[in-house]
Amino acid sequence: MRGFWAVLKKEGMQMMRDSATLRFAIAIPVFQLVLFGLIDTNVKHVPTVVFDQSRSPDSRELIQQFVNTSYFSVVGYAPSRDAMHEEIVAGRASVGIEIPVDFARRRLYGQSAALLVLIDGSDATISSQALSAANGLALSRSITELLERSGNDELPIGVHPQLLFNPDSRSANLLIPGLVAILLTFSGTILAAFAIVRERERGTLEQLMVTPVSPLAVVMGKLLPYLVLAFVQLILILTLMTTVFKVPIHGSVPLLMALSVVYLFSLLALGLLVSSRSSTQMEAVQRAQMFLLPSIMLSGYIFPLSSLPAPIRVISQILPATHFIAISRGIIIRGATFHDLWQNVAALVAIAVVLVAGSTQAFKKTIS
Amino acid sequence: MNTAAILEPASRTPAPGESPYGIEVEGVSRDFGKYRALDDVSLRVPRGEIFGLLGPNGSGKSTLIRILCGLLTPTTGRARVDGLDVTTAGEEVRRHIGYVSQKFSLYEDLTVLENLNFFASVYGLKGNDRHERREWAMDLTQLDPYRDRLAAQLSGGWKQRLALAAALMHRPRVIFLDEPTAGIDPVARRELWNLLFTLAADGVTLLVTTHYMDEAERCSNVAYLYLSKMLVQGRPDDLMLMPEVTPAGMRRVQADCDQGAAAVMGASRSLPYVDDVTIFGNALHLLVSADVDDTKIAGDLAAAAHGARVKVSPIQASLEDVFVRLTKLQVAKKNGSKLPLAPEGKR
Repeated sequence: MRGFWAVLKKEGMQMMRDSATLRFAIAIPVFQLVLFGLIDTNVKHVPTVVFDQSRSPDSRELIQQFVNTSYFSVVGYAPSRDAMHEEIVAGRASVGIEIPVDFARRRLYGQSAALLVLIDGSDATISSQALSAANGLALSRSITELLERSGNDELPIGVHPQLLFNPDSRSANLLIPGLVAILLTFSGTILAAFAIVRERERGTLEQLMVTPVSPLAVVMGKLLPYLVLAFVQLILILTLMTTVFKVPIHGSVPLLMALSVVYLFSLLALGLLVSSRSSTQMEAVQRAQMFLLPSIMLSGYIFPLSSLPAPIRVISQILPATHFIAISRGIIIRGATFHDLWQNVAALVAIAVVLVAGSTQAFKKTIS
Repeated sequence: MNTAAILEPASRTPAPGESPYGIEVEGVSRDFGKYRALDDVSLRVPRGEIFGLLGPNGSGKSTLIRILCGLLTPTTGRARVDGLDVTTAGEEVRRHIGYVSQKFSLYEDLTVLENLNFFASVYGLKGNDRHERREWAMDLTQLDPYRDRLAAQLSGGWKQRLALAAALMHRPRVIFLDEPTAGIDPVARRELWNLLFTLAADGVTLLVTTHYMDEAERCSNVAYLYLSKMLVQGRPDDLMLMPEVTPAGMRRVQADCDQGAAAVMGASRSLPYVDDVTIFGNALHLLVSADVDDTKIAGDLAAAAHGARVKVSPIQASLEDVFVRLTKLQVAKKNGSKLPLAPEGKR
């Protein structure tokens, strides 16, 4: 490890002097955090168009009840079914409610009155939530009426669902713990790869190699500042998450920190691996993309792992992000302990060890 | 010309038990896949001498330097630097060598002082030792006024001085310089060479690659690499007297022209006894048959060039003549043909 401190000090100095990299490292996480913190995947106020043929107090009351669920927001009234359909095709509304002419009459005589609800299926999130909201509304009103008529005051089967850990179904609580993993991927892998490729590009790596400094000292001395930088980012993200976005950490913070370091090691090792195959920074970015994209798409960050086809899930399992997202969500949202997460922890440690060993070998090979 | 002409140079008296040579290369070859970048090269550089490595781009100069610095391993052969084998004692070798590469390869985003401090600490220099060494290197290279300037803001010549200063931090016994003067102005070039002489006088062995003949002539010994092979090696003065350069029955003359040297050169090609001609400003250097005297040449040239006034005097071959001639011979040998005016029996 001869020359480790010299390389470390030099690299730290260069990093502090490179304001573009620092801004990149601080601004991007903050920007993304704000963006993702404000996104709400819970559907509200879906633009709705109404074709009311009944034009009765009853139909107006029904429409009002739709609006009261806060899922629907009436943006207009259509004169015909075709006009209503056209509104949805044009994208001006996502839901159309058609109330038949005999709605009030059938209600008055206690007959079943049917509604037609058109839902734009082109957006899965909106359609599924609008569908369940519409069904739920009709069902609960029907049950209430049936109960009144039957004279019973309770349901044969009562369901008391309870949303654990995230009672308000806030999206931020789900998104930010996953985002932590993705943001660290950028700085850990890309910045680390840059740091090494830059030296190769400028010929300074060769100059270093004719000195008695050991290759391992070069790698460690260069990567440690990036480990520190990524750790600072982690603390920044977690602080913003708990203070600004009010997402509490239910589990052990030291455990989260310790496992983050393991995760960071695997990211830096990937950066090193990328750098030993690339001779320019451009090449390094492209190589890193091959790893970053699967980390975003296949790690459970965007799509639940259970929705991925089985062969793809194999890829998910070898991505460090998959395990770290499981750990991060587990600790932050559910208050999971080491014992609960040991499988993910073991996988993450194993991946990190393989990557560190493999990447240092690859690096040694390229410089000799 | 089958084997390189190795002319034994005068050597200094080495310390007891120490190799008298700073650099020893014995039959070194290096292959990159099918391509042989260096083919059976041998050379020796006595301590305290400046050795010039010449040859066209791609002839293997950088490959040899990279082998000697331990950046590449030779495919066959042995190389010793400071008495140590570069393949087996690589780390020990790296402690005692300095390397100034063709391209500026220090940190442009660090200042002069920070660069020097970094290299000093890479070599394990600490405290007072580091300070002393750094100030010495800055004094020698006169970098002191620029100590707080970023390396990126230095001009080419000053960057090379900084590279040299960084390579000197650990008192290297052998220094390799790969085209250190490429692209820097003549004054800076001269000053850099003066620095190299100062170091050589201190007993440091230097190996320098260059394309400049005036630099080559300042070296104690030079070697000429061509297509991965070493064509010749020796002291510049001895090389100029090599029989291959000025074959038996031939001699070299200089023709000073009062005007239109280019026209005279064109005319000279028609003269049967002129083998080769090169233009140097208002003068021509000619390789001619030894049996034609100066007066006749002057008269023939003047006549051929329609009355230009020409003064002819005998000269020695220059180092450039040596390399040009040897390259031609090598090409001719490769093509299986003979050079004109190099009669078989006379050699």
